[in-house]
Amino acid sequence: MFERFTDRARTVVKRALDEARAEGRHPVGTEHLLLGVLADPDALATRLLAESGVGADDLRARIRRHTGNGGLAEADAAALREIGIDLAAIVARIEESFGPDALREAAPPPRRRWGRRPHLGGPFSPRSKKALELSLREAIRLRHRHIGTEHILLGLLREGGGLGALVLTEAGVDLADLRRRVEEALRTAA
Amino acid sequence: MSQATELAAAAGSTDPKVGLRAVLALRRLLERLEVVQVDNARRQGWSWQEIAEALEVSRQAVHKKHAGRPAVPGSWE
Repeated sequence: MFERFTDRARTVVKRALDEARAEGRHPVGTEHLLLGVLADPDALATRLLAESGVGADDLRARIRRHTGNGGLAEADAAALREIGIDLAAIVARIEESFGPDALREAAPPPRRRWGRRPHLGGPFSPRSKKALELSLREAIRLRHRHIGTEHILLGLLREGGGLGALVLTEAGVDLADLRRRVEEALRTAA
Repeated sequence: MSQATELAAAAGSTDPKVGLRAVLALRRLLERLEVVQVDNARRQGWSWQEIAEALEVSRQAVHKKHAGRPAVPGSWE
């Protein structure tokens, strides 16, 4: 599916793979794609995000907050706190015995297996795969022949549900507004 | 209300949203803990039968759920 990707968009995907690899053996998530885009300082997407006051370091810290609780989200930690369970203490105890990130890397096996295991879905998470497919659809919709870094961002925004979109929202970005601005910038550039 | 009493109230909350969310979080934590502990048991040479007995499930169930993973995660880079 990457035939139409520009060299820079390919680099974004490659960086996303590196980001995911650096974290362990996780599939590439939407947050990794987002970080991949932001690693390109000259990308239109990066410029527009910078205009919204969003930088890679800030997003990285936000992502870490969601994945730092042994792979459970902050919302899960809060819910456990409500019933008197200190997730941080459990994570600390597990890491003490089984090494750093032991709990985070212990991704539960997928529930449904149709005979293919254990690498169900390849290197991309279902959401990031969807975002990449949507980047192609966005390019077609805008009548662009190639998929650039900005189309990847549009795909991420259109998918709208992954950790990438979540940290953007938390950073104060209005996703619909950002999408409009990307499209506008693309029209001006064309 | 002090923070402590607020927490205590939440622990026994009758709001299903609060309670069910806690159950979901607990299940996610449980799933991860199970992976860590099953892998640990396998590393220490436990059989599927022994693990199944400890977890009080059938050998087939535990095998089906966990046998697809390498027994020693972190060593297959």
